[in-house]
Amino acid sequence: MEALLHVQQLNKIYGQGTQQFHALKDVSFTMAQGEFVGVMGSSGAGKSTLLNLLATIDSPTSGDIFIDGTNIASMNHDALADFRRDHLGFIFQDYNLLDSLTVRENILLPLAIAKKPAAVIQKKVDEIATLFGIETLLHKYPYEISGGQKQRTAASRALVTEPKLIFADEPTGALDSKSATDLLQSFVRLNEEKSSTIMMVTHDAYAASFCRRIVFIQDGQLATEIFKGTKTRKQFFEVILQTLAEVSGDLHDVI
Amino acid sequence: MTLFSLARKNVLRNIKSYGLYIGSMIFSIVIYFTFVTLKYSDDIAVLTKTDTRINGIMSASSVVLLFFVAIFIFYSNSFFMKKRKKEVALYSLLGVRKRKIGMMLFFENLMIGLLALMIGIVIGFLLSKGLLTVLVQLMGYDVVANFVLSTEAVQNTVMVFIILFIITSLQGYRVIYQFSLIDLFHAAKKGEAMPKASALYAVMGVTLLAIAYYLSLTNIFTSELWKLMGYLTVPIVVIALTILGTFLLFNSVTVYALTMLKNMRNWSWKGLNVLTTAQLLYRIRANAKSLTIIAILSATTITAGGAVYSLYYMTGENTKATNPHTFMWIGEDIDMPSDNLRYDAHVTYGQIDVTVEQAMYRYSVIRRSDYEALAKLQQIDAVQGEYVLIDAFYNDDFSVVKAGTTLQQNDRAFTIDAIASQQVMNGALGMAMLVVPDAQFTAMQATATAHMYSYEDEKNEKELSATLEQQLPESANFTSYPRDYAAGLAGAGSLLFVGSFLGLVFLTATGSIIYFKVLTEAEEDRAKYEALRKMGVRKQMMLKTISAQVGFMFGLPLLAGLAHGAAALSAFGQLFMMDVTKPVLVWMAIYVAVYALYYVFTVWNFYKLTAERGKAL
Repeated sequence: MEALLHVQQLNKIYGQGTQQFHALKDVSFTMAQGEFVGVMGSSGAGKSTLLNLLATIDSPTSGDIFIDGTNIASMNHDALADFRRDHLGFIFQDYNLLDSLTVRENILLPLAIAKKPAAVIQKKVDEIATLFGIETLLHKYPYEISGGQKQRTAASRALVTEPKLIFADEPTGALDSKSATDLLQSFVRLNEEKSSTIMMVTHDAYAASFCRRIVFIQDGQLATEIFKGTKTRKQFFEVILQTLAEVSGDLHDVI
Repeated sequence: MTLFSLARKNVLRNIKSYGLYIGSMIFSIVIYFTFVTLKYSDDIAVLTKTDTRINGIMSASSVVLLFFVAIFIFYSNSFFMKKRKKEVALYSLLGVRKRKIGMMLFFENLMIGLLALMIGIVIGFLLSKGLLTVLVQLMGYDVVANFVLSTEAVQNTVMVFIILFIITSLQGYRVIYQFSLIDLFHAAKKGEAMPKASALYAVMGVTLLAIAYYLSLTNIFTSELWKLMGYLTVPIVVIALTILGTFLLFNSVTVYALTMLKNMRNWSWKGLNVLTTAQLLYRIRANAKSLTIIAILSATTITAGGAVYSLYYMTGENTKATNPHTFMWIGEDIDMPSDNLRYDAHVTYGQIDVTVEQAMYRYSVIRRSDYEALAKLQQIDAVQGEYVLIDAFYNDDFSVVKAGTTLQQNDRAFTIDAIASQQVMNGALGMAMLVVPDAQFTAMQATATAHMYSYEDEKNEKELSATLEQQLPESANFTSYPRDYAAGLAGAGSLLFVGSFLGLVFLTATGSIIYFKVLTEAEEDRAKYEALRKMGVRKQMMLKTISAQVGFMFGLPLLAGLAHGAAALSAFGQLFMMDVTKPVLVWMAIYVAVYALYYVFTVWNFYKLTAERGKAL
C-alpha cells in the first residue's frame, strides 16, 4: 500500500532559552492508505502536539510532513485552509457543534464552505447521516439531542467531504460506554467498507482496541507500536493494557 | 497581602484587559468635564449675558448629558463585571469570603475611577480650549478663548463622578452576592430555542410604523387628524408608535426575513451564509431591545443634529430673504463708500390701508417699473400681473388675501392678480407690499424714498453697518444684512455647537454599546470560530461572515434611525417652511461616516479575537 501520511524527523519546541520545552523529538512514521491508527500516551506525552501538527493548525520547529505526497510545511495560510477543507476531517472530544445550526446544517457546513451545489449537498448529507444512523434527527438543534448523537453528528460533519485523512481527538472522551461503542463501530465500518484512513488520539484502552495499529508516545518520542493482526478485539485490548503498563510504568525496559 | 494591595495588583497587571473599561470611563469624564468647563467659562459668560437663550440651552444640555453619562457608565460597568465573574468564582472557590471579594472589587473600581478621573480632567482641560475656540468661531464672535482651569468645573465633575463610582462600586459588591458557585461549573450554555417568526407581530410592526410616518408627514396645518387629536398629543403618539413599531420590526420582521433567507438553500448553502443567518437569528430576540434603544437614540441624534444644523445653515438664507439688500433706510441719502458696491437703488413708495372682509390691512406700495428694476438687480423673476401682492409669509391655507381677492380702499376697489413671495425691499417694509401699475401709483400718495445699497461679501460689512446705525436717526428704519446675520448666527451657532457636541456623545455611546455587545458575543462564540478554522475556512470567508454579522447589528439600527430621522426632519422642515434637504443630507453623511469607522473597528477586533488560538477554554 502507498504511504498516505509520511512524517520525517518532526521536532516541536515551545518557549525559548532555559524555558524551552521539547514537545516532540525526532518523530518519524508512516501511515498507509486505509489504516486505522490509534495514538496513545500519558498526559503531556505529546499526543495533542502531534495531532495539531498533522492537522496543519500548528507548524513544526523542524521536520517534514507529507500528506499524499504534498509537503504541508511549504504551504501558506490560505493554501493550508484549502488543504484542510479538501483533504482532512476532524472529530473533537467536545463535538464542537455550532449550537445555532441544526444537525443538517452542521453536517453540510464543510460542503457549503467548499461551495458545492445545493443538490449535491442534500444527497451527501442524507447519505452520511444514514451511515451514522442520525437521519431522523437532521432538523433538530444540538441542544435537543444526546451526547452520543452529537458526536455522531460531529463525525458526519468530518466525513461528509470524504476526506483522505480523518483525525479524531479523544472522540469518546465525553461519551458513555454504549455511545462510545456505537461511534467506534461506525469508525470500524467506515474503515472497512469505505477504506477511510483514520488517526485517533485516545488514552482509553477500550477505544484503542478498535484500531488496527497503535502507536505509543512517551516524552515526545515514539516509544513503541503494536498491531492487532489476527487477534480478536478482546485479546488486543489485553495487549494494549500490558504495553501501556510497560511504556508508562517502567521506561527503561522499553528503551 | 492586604485587600488593597491585591486590588492594586489586579488593576496594574490587567491594565490591558481593563483598558476598554477605563477608556470608556475616561471618555465619559472628558465629555462631561469639557461641557461643564464651557458652561462655567468666562468667555461664554460674557456671551450668555447678552443672549439668555444660550444659557438656557447650556443648562438643559448638561442635564441631558449627565443622564446619558450615567447610563453609559452603568452599562460599561455591568459589561465589565460580566467578564470578571469567572475570576470572582475562582476566588470564592479558593475559599476567600464573599465579603472580602466584595471589598476588593469595591476598592478596585474606586481606584480605576480615580485614575480615570485624573486622566479625564487633564484631557478634558486641553480639549475644552480647542472646543471653546470652535464655539466662539461658530457663533461669529471675535473673542480669543482663554486658557484657564475652572475650579467650579473641576468641583462639579469630581462630585458627579465620585457619586457615580460609588454607586457602580456598590453594584459590583452586589454581584458577589447574586451569583452561586455552580454558575462557574455550568459555564456551558443551555441551548436556546430558535425564534419563530410571528406573522401577527410582523404585520403590526409595519402597520404601526406606517401610521407613525403618515401622521408625521401629513401637513400639520390642514390635517384633520392633528386637529382631532390635538397638536400636543400627536407628537407623543408618533413617538410611542415609532418605538413600539421599531421593536416589533426588529423582533419579528427581521426573524421573518432571516428565516426566509436561510430557507433559500441555493443561497444559504454557500460558504458561511448558513452560519451568518443562523447566528443572527439566534441572537436577534435577545438583541431586539438594545437594537431598538440604539435605533431610537440614533433617530434622536440625527433629528436633533439635522434640525440644529439646518437652522444654522438657513441663517444666511433667512436673513437674505428679509434683507435682500445689504443696507436700506428711509429719508435722506448718504454718501456711501464705493468699494465693493454692487448696486444702489432709490425707490419712492407709498402706503395704503385697505379693507378685506371688514379687516384692515396696511401695505406699502411701489410702481410696477420700480418692482421690475429691483427684481432685475436681485436676479429674480418679476411676477406678472396688474396688481401683485408681495407677501413674505404667504400660505395657501391661511392667508386671507389671495390671487383674486378684491381689496377695498375707501371708494376704490382693485383685485389682486398674483402673489409673489420674494421680497424686493428690506425688512417689514418689504414683507407686505403692493405692486401697482405706474399710472395708478400717483393716486396712492408717495410718502417717502427708500435708499438701498448692496455690497459684495456683505456678511463682513459689519463696521459700515455700525457706522450707519450711529449716523442715521431712529426714524430712518435702518435695516442691515450684516447686523441681522450676526444676530442669527449667535443663536444658531451655539445651538449647532451644543447639538453637534451632544450628537457626538450619543453617537460614540451608541457605537460603544454595540461594540461591547458584539465583542461579548464573539467571546462566547470563540470555540465556534476555532472549529470553523479547523474545517478549513479561509481568512477571507471568516472576515465575510463576521462583517455580515456585525454589519447587521450596526446597519439595522442605523437604517431605522436614518429613516425615522428623515421623517421627523421633513416634518420639521414643513413646520418651519424651509427646504432642509441639503443640510440634513450633510449631517446624515457625517453621522454615517463616524458610524462606519466604529463598524470597521468592531469587525477588526472581532476577527482578531476569533483568530487568537488556544485561549478558548
